[in-house]
Amino acid sequence: MITVKVKCFSQVKYALNKDEVIFELDHGTTTDSLESMIRDNAKGKLDGVRLRVAVNRKYIPEKIELKDGDEIAFIPPVQGG
Amino acid sequence: MIITPHELQLWIDEGKPFTVVDFRPKVQRRESPLSGLNAVIADADTIPKCDGAMVLVCQFGIVTEEIIVEKDLDDTFSLLGGIQAWEAFQNEKQDMSRWSRQTVLSEIGLEGQKRLLNAKVALVGMGGLGCPIAQSLIAAGIGTLKIIDGDKVELSNLHRQPLYNIEDVGRLKVLVAKEKLKQLNEDAVVELTEEYLNDDNGLNVVGDADIIIDATDNIQARQLIDQISKEFGIPMVYGGLYRYEGQVAVLNVNGSPGYSDLFPEPPSVNDTCADAGVLGMLPGIIGHIQALETVKLIVGIEPNLVGKLLVYDGMKHSMETIEL
Repeated sequence: MITVKVKCFSQVKYALNKDEVIFELDHGTTTDSLESMIRDNAKGKLDGVRLRVAVNRKYIPEKIELKDGDEIAFIPPVQGG
Repeated sequence: MIITPHELQLWIDEGKPFTVVDFRPKVQRRESPLSGLNAVIADADTIPKCDGAMVLVCQFGIVTEEIIVEKDLDDTFSLLGGIQAWEAFQNEKQDMSRWSRQTVLSEIGLEGQKRLLNAKVALVGMGGLGCPIAQSLIAAGIGTLKIIDGDKVELSNLHRQPLYNIEDVGRLKVLVAKEKLKQLNEDAVVELTEEYLNDDNGLNVVGDADIIIDATDNIQARQLIDQISKEFGIPMVYGGLYRYEGQVAVLNVNGSPGYSDLFPEPPSVNDTCADAGVLGMLPGIIGHIQALETVKLIVGIEPNLVGKLLVYDGMKHSMETIEL
């Protein structure tokens, strides 16, 4: 198992009502499958919201395999101005 | 009391009697001799007694202001911006002293200030982000600011858009903003576009700018700005808000990532400030960060947010910087 920390921004934070979530994951879990777990936890509140992924403060355009201790951020585009 | 280089020159031209006292150390006096002024050399402990007005000078005009306050000196003036501003005035007949508090910063200096004065910035959106951006850029001495917005002032705007008053409700934002901005710096050129940025007017409106600032409230406008920015090589300073959070990024600088690289998909379900709610301070903070990044880009100061996304959380006052 690996342990990763998810930092929640904007809609993700409000959907999960948390700033951070710790996940215990199987080895080989990818950013895509973690995003699916986040969406499941949000119980529909993130439906239709596009999310971008950063791992260890670096933007990741395509899915990657997560490692123990990774810090993941899911970032939605924000519209207000 | 302070005196600007321009006012001091008027004293000289009028033949008004006064004594100039130079408080700079010997090294600075040797490196930057005073032109056009006969000065008495002194330090803070040996201030000469003179008949008539005294003008105290130092390199940047800060030490002498402190001396006047500390010693409670009457009929004594500190030269605003110091020798740095005086020399610029003598050489170029341009009074830079009003920016002395930022030209004293070694990263800005007179050269940086000249770049700001010669810069042309397009600011798209004159709402919550646009107001603080416009105010701080005009105050900083940006030479030309193009402001673009077709919106009118509404009562619900006033809590976060400090350029507008209750009397302005119903008026076009860009018209009101220009009046207020000219009060801040009458020498700045403020160009108006009284309509929203769109596919038809986009290139014509922002295509001649050095930098385009995205202060809009919708993703379609951001995508249009990004497209023009990328195609014509004009850097884009992006800002966005969601409740207590804000994002800032500097995009499309010499091939660095753009908005479409950051958020490549079509717009998702999302909220504007009207939908999600926003406290007035949040656009103030984010707008000022955008203005700061704009000044850094114009002057050429690093580090900056080129190729990075900054996410600010107004609840925890935490910031994350993500490399794009």
